Amino acid sequence: MQVYLPIAEMSVDALLLLGIGFGVGWLSGLFGVGGGFLLTPLLMLIGIPSPVAVASGANQTLGASISGLIAQWRRGNVDWRMGLTLFAGGLVGSALGVQIFALLKRWGQVDIAVSLFYVVILGIVGALMVRESVTALLRRRRGTAPRRKLHEHTWLHGLPFKLRFRDSRLYISVIPPLLIGFGIGMLSAIMGVGGGFMLVPAMIYILGMPTSIVIGTSLFQVVFVSANVTLLQAWQVGSVDIVLTLLLLAGGVAGAQFGAAMGTKLRGEETRALLGLLVLAVAFGLAWNLLQTPSRAFTLGPIS
Amino acid sequence: MKAWARALFLLGVLIAPAASFGQPITAELSTDRVEISTGFTGASVLVFGATQNPLGGDPPEDLIVVATGPTQGVVVRRKINVLGIWLNGPSTRFPEVPGFYALTGTRRVWEILPEDERRQYRLGFDNLRLRSEGNRNPSFRAALLELKQADGRWQEYAAPVARAGERLFSARISFPATVQTGDYQIEVLLAREGRVIARQELSLRLERVGSAAEIASLARGQPLLYGVLCIVLAVLAGWLGSVLFRRN
Repeated sequence: MQVYLPIAEMSVDALLLLGIGFGVGWLSGLFGVGGGFLLTPLLMLIGIPSPVAVASGANQTLGASISGLIAQWRRGNVDWRMGLTLFAGGLVGSALGVQIFALLKRWGQVDIAVSLFYVVILGIVGALMVRESVTALLRRRRGTAPRRKLHEHTWLHGLPFKLRFRDSRLYISVIPPLLIGFGIGMLSAIMGVGGGFMLVPAMIYILGMPTSIVIGTSLFQVVFVSANVTLLQAWQVGSVDIVLTLLLLAGGVAGAQFGAAMGTKLRGEETRALLGLLVLAVAFGLAWNLLQTPSRAFTLGPIS
Repeated sequence: MKAWARALFLLGVLIAPAASFGQPITAELSTDRVEISTGFTGASVLVFGATQNPLGGDPPEDLIVVATGPTQGVVVRRKINVLGIWLNGPSTRFPEVPGFYALTGTRRVWEILPEDERRQYRLGFDNLRLRSEGNRNPSFRAALLELKQADGRWQEYAAPVARAGERLFSARISFPATVQTGDYQIEVLLAREGRVIARQELSLRLERVGSAAEIASLARGQPLLYGVLCIVLAVLAGWLGSVLFRRN
Protein backbone atom coordinates (compact mmCIF):
# COMPACT_ATOMS: atom_id res chain seq x y z
CA MET A 1 0.00 0.00 0.00
CA GLN A 2 1.60 3.22 -1.19
CA VAL A 3 1.30 6.43 0.80
CA TYR A 4 2.39 9.94 -0.21
CA LEU A 5 4.69 11.78 2.19
CA PRO A 6 3.91 15.51 1.94
CA ILE A 7 7.28 16.88 3.12
CA ALA A 8 9.54 14.24 1.56
CA GLU A 9 7.38 14.66 -1.59
CA MET A 10 7.44 10.99 -2.51
CA SER A 11 5.41 7.82 -2.23
CA VAL A 12 6.55 4.89 -0.11
CA ASP A 13 5.09 1.57 0.97
CA ALA A 14 3.14 2.10 4.21
CA LEU A 15 3.65 -1.54 5.29
CA LEU A 16 7.40 -1.18 4.99
CA LEU A 17 7.32 1.88 7.25
CA LEU A 18 5.10 0.10 9.78
CA GLY A 19 7.51 -2.85 9.81
CA ILE A 20 10.58 -0.65 10.28
CA GLY A 21 8.71 1.19 13.05
CA PHE A 22 7.84 -2.04 14.85
CA GLY A 23 11.36 -3.45 14.76
CA VAL A 24 12.98 -0.24 15.90
CA GLY A 25 10.31 0.31 18.59
CA TRP A 26 10.91 -3.17 19.98
CA LEU A 27 14.62 -2.44 20.40
CA SER A 28 13.74 0.93 21.93
CA GLY A 29 11.77 -0.72 24.70
CA LEU A 30 14.27 -3.54 25.16
CA PHE A 31 17.40 -1.42 25.57
CA GLY A 32 15.96 1.89 26.66
CA VAL A 33 17.35 3.65 23.62
CA GLY A 34 15.26 5.68 21.21
CA GLY A 35 16.29 3.49 18.29
CA GLY A 36 16.97 6.55 16.13
CA PHE A 37 20.48 5.30 15.36
CA LEU A 38 18.87 2.41 13.48
CA LEU A 39 15.90 4.30 12.12
CA THR A 40 17.66 7.19 10.41
CA PRO A 41 20.07 5.00 8.38
CA LEU A 42 17.18 2.66 7.47
CA LEU A 43 15.09 5.57 6.20
CA MET A 44 17.98 6.88 4.12
CA LEU A 45 18.48 3.36 2.78
CA ILE A 46 14.89 3.22 1.44
CA GLY A 47 15.41 6.54 -0.34
CA ILE A 48 14.04 9.15 2.06
CA PRO A 49 16.11 12.36 1.63
CA SER A 50 18.58 12.58 4.51
CA PRO A 51 17.29 15.88 6.01
CA VAL A 52 13.77 14.39 6.19
CA ALA A 53 15.14 11.11 7.56
CA VAL A 54 17.07 12.90 10.31
CA ALA A 55 14.25 15.26 11.31
CA SER A 56 11.45 12.69 11.17
CA GLY A 57 13.71 10.16 12.88
CA ALA A 58 14.04 12.53 15.81
CA ASN A 59 10.28 13.06 15.85
CA GLN A 60 9.60 9.30 15.81
CA THR A 61 12.19 8.78 18.54
CA LEU A 62 10.19 11.21 20.68
CA GLY A 63 6.97 9.22 20.28
CA ALA A 64 8.61 5.80 20.58
CA SER A 65 10.52 6.83 23.70
CA ILE A 66 7.53 8.30 25.48
CA SER A 67 5.89 4.89 25.76
CA GLY A 68 9.21 3.50 27.00
CA LEU A 69 9.54 6.38 29.45
CA ILE A 70 6.04 5.73 30.81
CA ALA A 71 6.83 2.02 31.17
CA GLN A 72 10.08 2.80 33.08
CA TRP A 73 8.46 5.53 35.15
CA ARG A 74 5.84 3.07 36.40
CA ARG A 75 8.67 0.96 37.77
CA GLY A 76 10.22 4.01 39.45
CA ASN A 77 13.34 3.87 37.30
CA VAL A 78 13.65 7.58 36.50
CA ASP A 79 15.96 9.99 38.31
CA TRP A 80 14.12 13.23 37.56
CA ARG A 81 16.80 15.51 38.95
CA MET A 82 19.55 13.88 36.86
CA GLY A 83 17.24 13.90 33.83
CA LEU A 84 16.60 17.62 34.12
CA THR A 85 20.31 18.38 34.54
CA LEU A 86 21.17 16.38 31.42
CA PHE A 87 18.36 18.03 29.51
CA ALA A 88 19.59 21.53 30.41
CA GLY A 89 22.84 20.69 28.61
CA GLY A 90 20.96 18.90 25.84
CA LEU A 91 18.83 21.94 25.08
CA VAL A 92 21.86 24.08 24.27
CA GLY A 93 23.65 21.25 22.45
CA SER A 94 20.74 20.37 20.17
CA ALA A 95 20.16 24.04 19.27
CA LEU A 96 23.79 24.27 18.17
CA GLY A 97 23.55 20.92 16.37
CA VAL A 98 20.66 22.08 14.19
CA GLN A 99 22.74 25.09 13.11
CA ILE A 100 25.63 22.80 12.16
CA PHE A 101 23.20 20.58 10.27
CA ALA A 102 21.87 23.54 8.28
CA LEU A 103 25.47 24.50 7.43
CA LEU A 104 26.33 20.95 6.26
CA LYS A 105 23.21 20.96 4.12
CA ARG A 106 24.38 24.15 2.42
CA TRP A 107 27.77 22.55 1.69
CA GLY A 108 26.12 19.47 0.19
CA GLN A 109 27.89 17.13 2.60
CA VAL A 110 24.96 16.09 4.81
CA ASP A 111 24.84 12.47 3.63
CA ILE A 112 28.54 11.83 4.10
CA ALA A 113 28.83 13.83 7.32
CA VAL A 114 25.89 11.98 8.86
CA SER A 115 27.33 8.60 7.81
CA LEU A 116 30.80 9.48 9.13
CA PHE A 117 29.35 10.62 12.44
CA TYR A 118 27.52 7.32 12.69
CA VAL A 119 30.55 5.18 11.86
CA VAL A 120 32.91 6.93 14.26
CA ILE A 121 30.55 7.30 17.20
CA LEU A 122 28.75 3.98 16.88
CA GLY A 123 32.09 2.24 16.34
CA ILE A 124 33.66 3.65 19.49
CA VAL A 125 30.58 3.29 21.68
CA GLY A 126 29.81 -0.22 20.43
CA ALA A 127 33.38 -1.47 20.90
CA LEU A 128 33.57 -0.05 24.43
CA MET A 129 30.24 -1.57 25.41
CA VAL A 130 31.04 -5.01 24.07
CA ARG A 131 34.47 -5.04 25.69
CA GLU A 132 33.20 -3.92 29.07
CA SER A 133 30.21 -6.25 29.21
CA VAL A 134 32.19 -9.27 28.00
CA THR A 135 34.80 -8.64 30.70
CA ALA A 136 32.03 -8.38 33.29
CA LEU A 137 30.40 -11.58 32.04
CA LEU A 138 33.69 -13.52 32.18
CA ARG A 139 34.39 -12.24 35.66
CA ARG A 140 30.99 -13.33 36.88
CA ARG A 141 31.50 -16.79 35.41
CA ARG A 142 34.89 -17.19 37.08
CA GLY A 143 33.38 -15.89 40.29
CA THR A 144 36.27 -13.51 40.85
CA ALA A 145 34.27 -10.34 41.18
CA PRO A 146 36.63 -7.46 41.93
CA ARG A 147 36.13 -5.38 45.04
CA ARG A 148 33.61 -2.82 44.04
CA LYS A 149 34.28 0.46 45.70
CA LEU A 150 31.25 2.37 46.86
CA HIS A 151 32.93 5.65 45.94
CA GLU A 152 35.51 5.72 43.25
CA HIS A 153 36.97 9.18 43.61
CA THR A 154 38.32 10.67 40.42
CA TRP A 155 39.03 14.24 39.36
CA LEU A 156 35.33 14.51 38.47
CA HIS A 157 34.54 14.61 42.15
CA GLY A 158 36.72 17.67 42.69
CA LEU A 159 34.52 19.89 40.53
CA PRO A 160 32.33 22.56 42.15
CA PHE A 161 28.49 22.95 42.13
CA LYS A 162 27.81 19.61 43.72
CA LEU A 163 24.29 18.28 43.84
CA ARG A 164 22.78 15.25 45.51
CA PHE A 165 21.11 12.86 43.06
CA ARG A 166 19.33 10.62 45.54
CA ASP A 167 17.80 8.13 43.09
CA SER A 168 21.21 7.58 41.48
CA ARG A 169 22.93 7.38 44.87
CA LEU A 170 25.38 10.06 43.74
CA TYR A 171 26.71 13.32 45.14
CA ILE A 172 28.56 14.91 42.23
CA SER A 173 29.13 18.21 40.46
CA VAL A 174 26.50 19.24 37.87
CA ILE A 175 29.26 20.02 35.34
CA PRO A 176 29.80 16.44 33.98
CA PRO A 177 26.08 15.75 33.41
CA LEU A 178 25.65 19.18 31.80
CA LEU A 179 28.57 18.53 29.44
CA ILE A 180 27.35 15.03 28.60
CA GLY A 181 23.87 16.40 27.93
CA PHE A 182 25.34 19.11 25.70
CA GLY A 183 27.48 16.76 23.62
CA ILE A 184 24.75 14.22 23.14
CA GLY A 185 22.19 16.92 22.35
CA MET A 186 24.43 18.23 19.59
CA LEU A 187 25.07 14.81 18.07
CA SER A 188 21.41 13.90 18.28
CA ALA A 189 20.45 16.96 16.25
CA ILE A 190 22.96 16.08 13.51
CA MET A 191 22.27 12.35 13.50
CA GLY A 192 18.51 12.42 14.06
CA VAL A 193 18.70 10.25 17.13
CA GLY A 194 17.64 10.63 20.73
CA GLY A 195 21.14 9.75 21.83
CA GLY A 196 20.28 6.95 24.25
CA PHE A 197 22.91 4.59 22.85
CA MET A 198 25.60 7.14 23.80
CA LEU A 199 23.91 8.33 26.95
CA VAL A 200 23.51 4.88 28.52
CA PRO A 201 27.26 4.10 28.53
CA ALA A 202 28.13 7.70 29.51
CA MET A 203 25.86 7.46 32.55
CA ILE A 204 27.25 4.08 33.57
CA TYR A 205 30.95 4.64 32.98
CA ILE A 206 31.43 8.39 33.45
CA LEU A 207 28.80 9.28 36.04
CA GLY A 208 28.71 5.87 37.69
CA MET A 209 24.95 5.58 37.87
CA PRO A 210 23.33 2.22 38.71
CA THR A 211 22.21 0.30 35.58
CA SER A 212 18.65 -0.09 36.84
CA ILE A 213 18.05 3.65 36.84
CA VAL A 214 20.06 4.47 33.71
CA ILE A 215 17.52 3.31 31.14
CA GLY A 216 14.59 5.29 32.53
CA THR A 217 16.67 8.44 33.06
CA SER A 218 18.20 8.27 29.58
CA LEU A 219 14.70 7.97 28.12
CA PHE A 220 13.79 11.14 30.00
CA GLN A 221 16.63 13.04 28.32
CA VAL A 222 15.91 11.40 24.95
CA VAL A 223 12.25 12.46 25.03
CA PHE A 224 12.96 16.10 25.77
CA VAL A 225 15.96 16.49 23.49
CA SER A 226 14.16 14.87 20.56
CA ALA A 227 11.19 17.19 21.18
CA ASN A 228 13.59 20.12 20.94
CA VAL A 229 15.21 18.74 17.78
CA THR A 230 11.77 18.19 16.23
CA LEU A 231 10.77 21.77 16.92
CA LEU A 232 14.01 23.29 15.59
CA GLN A 233 14.16 21.04 12.51
CA ALA A 234 10.53 21.87 11.65
CA TRP A 235 11.11 25.55 12.23
CA GLN A 236 14.54 26.14 10.71
CA VAL A 237 15.10 23.34 8.18
CA GLY A 238 11.46 22.47 7.40
CA SER A 239 12.05 18.76 7.05
CA VAL A 240 9.84 16.99 9.62
CA ASP A 241 7.36 14.75 7.82
CA ILE A 242 4.50 14.05 10.21
CA VAL A 243 2.92 11.40 7.97
CA LEU A 244 6.21 9.49 7.97
CA THR A 245 6.54 9.96 11.74
CA LEU A 246 3.04 8.71 12.52
CA LEU A 247 3.40 5.64 10.30
CA LEU A 248 6.69 4.73 11.96
CA LEU A 249 5.11 5.34 15.36
CA ALA A 250 2.07 3.18 14.65
CA GLY A 251 4.44 0.22 14.37
CA GLY A 252 6.85 1.59 16.95
CA VAL A 253 4.53 1.99 19.94
CA ALA A 254 3.46 -1.64 19.71
CA GLY A 255 7.05 -2.83 19.44
CA ALA A 256 8.27 -0.70 22.34
CA GLN A 257 5.87 -2.31 24.81
CA PHE A 258 6.93 -5.82 23.84
CA GLY A 259 10.55 -4.77 24.12
CA ALA A 260 10.13 -3.13 27.53
CA ALA A 261 8.47 -6.27 28.94
CA MET A 262 11.32 -8.42 27.63
CA GLY A 263 14.00 -6.00 28.84
CA THR A 264 13.15 -6.60 32.50
CA LYS A 265 14.03 -10.28 32.07
CA LEU A 266 17.55 -9.56 30.79
CA ARG A 267 20.49 -8.99 33.11
CA GLY A 268 22.50 -5.77 32.89
CA GLU A 269 25.60 -7.33 31.29
CA GLU A 270 23.66 -9.24 28.66
CA THR A 271 21.64 -6.15 27.75
CA ARG A 272 24.78 -4.10 27.33
CA ALA A 273 26.55 -6.80 25.31
CA LEU A 274 23.59 -7.15 22.94
CA LEU A 275 23.19 -3.40 22.54
CA GLY A 276 26.92 -3.06 21.92
CA LEU A 277 26.84 -5.72 19.20
CA LEU A 278 23.88 -4.05 17.53
CA VAL A 279 25.59 -0.66 17.59
CA LEU A 280 28.75 -2.21 16.06
CA ALA A 281 26.72 -3.92 13.34
CA VAL A 282 25.17 -0.62 12.24
CA ALA A 283 28.61 1.05 12.28
CA PHE A 284 30.06 -1.68 10.06
CA GLY A 285 27.13 -1.47 7.66
CA LEU A 286 27.54 2.27 7.22
CA ALA A 287 31.33 2.04 6.96
CA TRP A 288 30.90 -0.50 4.19
CA ASN A 289 28.68 1.96 2.31
CA LEU A 290 31.28 4.70 2.64
CA LEU A 291 34.15 2.50 1.46
CA GLN A 292 32.36 0.66 -1.31
CA THR A 293 32.67 2.08 -4.83
CA PRO A 294 29.33 3.84 -5.41
CA SER A 295 27.05 2.39 -8.09
CA ARG A 296 26.68 5.88 -9.56
CA ALA A 297 29.59 8.30 -9.73
CA PHE A 298 27.25 11.31 -9.69
CA THR A 299 24.46 12.40 -7.39
CA LEU A 300 21.66 14.89 -7.88
CA GLY A 301 20.48 17.29 -5.23
CA PRO A 302 18.42 20.44 -4.90
CA ILE A 303 20.14 23.82 -4.71
CA SER A 304 19.75 24.93 -1.13
CA MET B 1 -8.69 3.89 -16.63
CA LYS B 2 -8.66 2.35 -20.11
CA ALA B 3 -12.43 2.78 -20.56
CA TRP B 4 -12.16 6.35 -19.43
CA ALA B 5 -9.46 7.06 -21.95
CA ARG B 6 -11.56 5.47 -24.69
CA ALA B 7 -14.50 7.70 -23.78
CA LEU B 8 -12.31 10.74 -24.15
CA PHE B 9 -11.07 9.44 -27.42
CA LEU B 10 -14.65 9.26 -28.63
CA LEU B 11 -15.04 12.87 -27.61
CA GLY B 12 -12.08 13.54 -29.86
CA VAL B 13 -13.89 11.82 -32.73
CA LEU B 14 -16.83 14.14 -32.21
CA ILE B 15 -14.76 17.31 -32.34
CA ALA B 16 -12.69 16.07 -35.26
CA PRO B 17 -14.98 17.37 -38.04
CA ALA B 18 -14.93 20.83 -36.46
CA ALA B 19 -11.16 20.76 -36.48
CA SER B 20 -10.96 19.99 -40.14
CA PHE B 21 -12.54 23.31 -41.04
CA GLY B 22 -10.68 25.62 -38.67
CA GLN B 23 -7.16 25.32 -37.30
CA PRO B 24 -4.68 22.81 -38.67
CA ILE B 25 -4.58 21.18 -35.24
CA THR B 26 -6.93 20.86 -32.28
CA ALA B 27 -5.75 19.25 -29.09
CA GLU B 28 -7.13 18.75 -25.62
CA LEU B 29 -6.08 17.16 -22.35
CA SER B 30 -8.05 14.49 -20.55
CA THR B 31 -7.83 16.69 -17.48
CA ASP B 32 -6.36 20.08 -16.65
CA ARG B 33 -5.74 19.23 -13.02
CA VAL B 34 -3.89 16.34 -11.42
CA GLU B 35 -4.49 15.96 -7.73
CA ILE B 36 -1.73 14.70 -5.49
CA SER B 37 -3.44 13.18 -2.49
CA THR B 38 -1.99 11.07 0.34
CA GLY B 39 -2.41 7.95 -1.81
CA PHE B 40 -0.67 9.43 -4.89
CA THR B 41 1.47 6.93 -6.76
CA GLY B 42 1.89 8.78 -10.03
CA ALA B 43 -0.61 9.72 -12.71
CA SER B 44 -0.99 9.86 -16.43
CA VAL B 45 -2.70 12.40 -18.63
CA LEU B 46 -3.96 11.82 -22.15
CA VAL B 47 -3.30 14.42 -24.84
CA PHE B 48 -5.68 13.88 -27.71
CA GLY B 49 -6.99 15.75 -30.72
CA ALA B 50 -7.32 15.93 -34.45
CA THR B 51 -5.49 17.44 -37.38
CA GLN B 52 -6.99 19.14 -40.41
CA ASN B 53 -4.96 17.18 -42.92
CA PRO B 54 -4.47 13.45 -42.76
CA LEU B 55 -1.34 12.54 -40.84
CA GLY B 56 1.39 10.88 -42.84
CA GLY B 57 -0.01 12.18 -46.13
CA ASP B 58 2.12 13.62 -48.91
CA PRO B 59 4.13 15.58 -47.93
CA PRO B 60 3.90 13.80 -44.55
CA GLU B 61 2.77 15.69 -41.48
CA ASP B 62 4.06 14.72 -38.06
CA LEU B 63 3.04 15.47 -34.51
CA ILE B 64 5.30 16.20 -31.59
CA VAL B 65 4.08 16.44 -28.01
CA VAL B 66 6.32 17.97 -25.39
CA ALA B 67 5.46 18.45 -21.71
CA THR B 68 7.52 20.71 -19.45
CA GLY B 69 7.25 21.12 -15.70
CA PRO B 70 8.19 24.04 -13.46
CA THR B 71 11.90 24.88 -13.42
CA GLN B 72 14.05 23.96 -10.47
CA GLY B 73 17.65 24.37 -9.45
CA VAL B 74 19.77 21.25 -9.09
CA VAL B 75 23.34 20.46 -8.13
CA VAL B 76 25.18 17.53 -9.69
CA ARG B 77 28.01 16.29 -7.52
CA ARG B 78 30.71 13.84 -8.45
CA LYS B 79 31.86 11.35 -5.85
CA ILE B 80 35.59 11.27 -5.21
CA ASN B 81 37.65 8.89 -3.16
CA VAL B 82 39.58 10.49 -0.31
CA LEU B 83 41.63 8.07 1.78
CA GLY B 84 39.31 5.23 0.86
CA ILE B 85 36.11 7.11 1.68
CA TRP B 86 33.74 8.27 -1.02
CA LEU B 87 32.92 11.95 -0.61
CA ASN B 88 30.96 14.48 -2.63
CA GLY B 89 33.64 16.23 -4.67
CA PRO B 90 33.38 18.75 -7.51
CA SER B 91 29.92 19.97 -8.36
CA THR B 92 28.05 21.84 -11.07
CA ARG B 93 24.94 23.87 -10.41
CA PHE B 94 22.14 24.00 -12.94
CA PRO B 95 19.97 26.88 -11.69
CA GLU B 96 17.16 26.40 -14.21
CA VAL B 97 16.26 22.94 -15.39
CA PRO B 98 12.75 21.69 -16.10
CA GLY B 99 11.58 19.60 -13.15
CA PHE B 100 9.72 17.45 -15.62
CA TYR B 101 10.29 16.97 -19.35
CA ALA B 102 8.59 14.49 -21.63
CA LEU B 103 8.94 14.38 -25.40
CA THR B 104 7.17 12.13 -27.81
CA GLY B 105 6.10 12.19 -31.45
CA THR B 106 4.77 10.19 -34.34
CA ARG B 107 8.40 9.66 -35.27
CA ARG B 108 11.76 10.47 -33.66
CA VAL B 109 12.08 14.22 -33.58
CA TRP B 110 15.40 14.25 -35.47
CA GLU B 111 13.68 12.52 -38.36
CA ILE B 112 11.01 15.23 -38.41
CA LEU B 113 12.84 18.51 -37.89
CA PRO B 114 16.32 19.92 -38.60
CA GLU B 115 18.54 20.94 -35.73
CA ASP B 116 17.85 24.70 -35.67
CA GLU B 117 14.12 24.08 -35.52
CA ARG B 118 14.56 21.51 -32.77
CA ARG B 119 16.67 23.96 -30.81
CA GLN B 120 14.11 26.73 -31.17
CA TYR B 121 11.33 24.61 -29.71
CA ARG B 122 13.67 22.84 -27.23
CA LEU B 123 12.90 19.40 -28.55
CA GLY B 124 15.01 16.61 -27.14
CA PHE B 125 17.43 16.49 -24.25
CA ASP B 126 20.25 17.80 -26.46
CA ASN B 127 18.35 21.00 -27.12
CA LEU B 128 17.40 21.89 -23.57
CA ARG B 129 19.04 25.09 -22.49
CA LEU B 130 20.84 23.98 -19.34
CA ARG B 131 22.80 26.93 -18.00
CA SER B 132 25.46 25.71 -15.61
CA GLU B 133 27.69 27.19 -12.95
CA GLY B 134 30.80 25.64 -11.44
CA ASN B 135 32.70 22.75 -12.95
CA ARG B 136 32.52 22.91 -16.78
CA ASN B 137 33.22 19.26 -17.41
CA PRO B 138 30.59 17.93 -19.87
CA SER B 139 30.26 14.75 -17.82
CA PHE B 140 28.10 16.69 -15.32
CA ARG B 141 25.54 17.49 -17.98
CA ALA B 142 25.54 13.88 -19.08
CA ALA B 143 25.08 12.78 -15.47
CA LEU B 144 22.16 15.19 -15.06
CA LEU B 145 20.46 13.65 -18.10
CA GLU B 146 21.10 10.14 -16.86
CA LEU B 147 19.87 10.75 -13.31
CA LYS B 148 16.77 12.64 -14.40
CA GLN B 149 15.85 9.84 -16.78
CA ALA B 150 16.52 7.20 -14.16
CA ASP B 151 13.81 8.52 -11.86
CA GLY B 152 11.31 9.00 -14.69
CA ARG B 153 11.08 12.77 -14.52
CA TRP B 154 12.69 13.24 -17.91
CA GLN B 155 11.42 11.04 -20.69
CA GLU B 156 11.98 10.75 -24.43
CA TYR B 157 9.55 8.62 -26.45
CA ALA B 158 8.21 6.86 -23.36
CA ALA B 159 4.95 6.25 -25.25
CA PRO B 160 4.63 7.18 -28.93
CA VAL B 161 1.91 9.42 -30.32
CA ALA B 162 -0.77 6.97 -31.38
CA ARG B 163 -2.87 7.53 -34.46
CA ALA B 164 -6.43 6.44 -35.01
CA GLY B 165 -7.70 6.77 -38.52
CA GLU B 166 -6.24 9.57 -40.58
CA ARG B 167 -6.72 12.59 -38.39
CA LEU B 168 -7.02 11.54 -34.77
CA PHE B 169 -4.09 11.24 -32.44
CA SER B 170 -3.42 10.64 -28.77
CA ALA B 171 -0.40 10.52 -26.51
CA ARG B 172 -0.09 9.57 -22.90
CA ILE B 173 2.14 11.50 -20.50
CA SER B 174 3.04 9.66 -17.32
CA PHE B 175 4.07 11.45 -14.15
CA PRO B 176 6.04 9.47 -11.56
CA ALA B 177 5.18 9.61 -7.86
CA THR B 178 8.13 11.94 -7.23
CA VAL B 179 6.79 14.63 -9.60
CA GLN B 180 6.72 18.26 -8.43
CA THR B 181 3.60 20.30 -7.98
CA GLY B 182 3.02 23.39 -10.11
CA ASP B 183 1.98 24.50 -13.58
CA TYR B 184 2.91 22.27 -16.49
CA GLN B 185 2.96 23.23 -20.16
CA ILE B 186 2.06 20.79 -22.84
CA GLU B 187 2.85 21.78 -26.41
CA VAL B 188 1.47 19.99 -29.42
CA LEU B 189 3.42 20.77 -32.59
CA LEU B 190 2.48 19.91 -36.15
CA ALA B 191 5.42 19.65 -38.52
CA ARG B 192 5.68 19.36 -42.31
CA GLU B 193 8.74 19.36 -44.55
CA GLY B 194 11.13 20.11 -41.73
CA ARG B 195 9.18 23.05 -40.31
CA VAL B 196 6.70 23.56 -37.50
CA ILE B 197 3.49 24.73 -39.20
CA ALA B 198 1.12 24.84 -36.23
CA ARG B 199 1.33 24.68 -32.51
CA GLN B 200 -1.07 24.56 -29.64
CA GLU B 201 -0.22 25.09 -26.02
CA LEU B 202 -2.14 23.43 -23.21
CA SER B 203 -1.69 23.85 -19.52
CA LEU B 204 -1.97 21.42 -16.69
CA ARG B 205 -1.81 21.98 -12.99
CA LEU B 206 -0.46 19.46 -10.50
CA GLU B 207 -1.52 20.26 -7.00
CA ARG B 208 -1.65 18.70 -3.62
CA VAL B 209 -5.11 18.12 -2.23
CA GLY B 210 -6.56 16.85 1.02
CA SER B 211 -4.45 16.25 4.08
CA ALA B 212 -1.19 16.16 2.09
CA ALA B 213 -1.83 19.71 0.85
CA GLU B 214 -2.81 20.99 4.28
CA ILE B 215 0.24 19.46 5.94
CA ALA B 216 2.63 20.86 3.34
CA SER B 217 1.15 24.37 3.47
CA LEU B 218 1.11 24.41 7.27
CA ALA B 219 4.72 23.22 7.41
CA ARG B 220 5.73 25.98 5.01
CA GLY B 221 3.48 28.76 6.25
CA GLN B 222 3.66 28.30 10.00
CA PRO B 223 6.70 26.12 10.70
CA LEU B 224 6.76 26.87 14.43
CA LEU B 225 3.13 25.84 14.91
CA TYR B 226 3.75 22.78 12.73
CA GLY B 227 6.75 21.84 14.87
CA VAL B 228 4.67 22.06 18.05
CA LEU B 229 1.96 19.99 16.37
CA CYS B 230 4.49 17.31 15.39
CA ILE B 231 5.62 17.08 19.02
CA VAL B 232 2.05 16.87 20.35
CA LEU B 233 1.01 14.25 17.78
CA ALA B 234 4.09 12.11 18.39
CA VAL B 235 3.60 12.26 22.16
CA LEU B 236 -0.10 11.43 21.84
CA ALA B 237 0.60 8.51 19.50
CA GLY B 238 3.29 7.24 21.87
CA TRP B 239 1.13 7.61 24.96
CA LEU B 240 -1.86 6.00 23.26
CA GLY B 241 0.36 3.08 22.28
CA SER B 242 1.55 2.58 25.83
CA VAL B 243 -2.07 2.38 26.97
CA LEU B 244 -3.24 0.11 24.14
CA PHE B 245 -0.33 -2.30 24.23
CA ARG B 246 0.33 -2.38 27.96
CA ARG B 247 1.20 -5.93 28.82
CA ASN B 248 0.09 -6.71 32.34
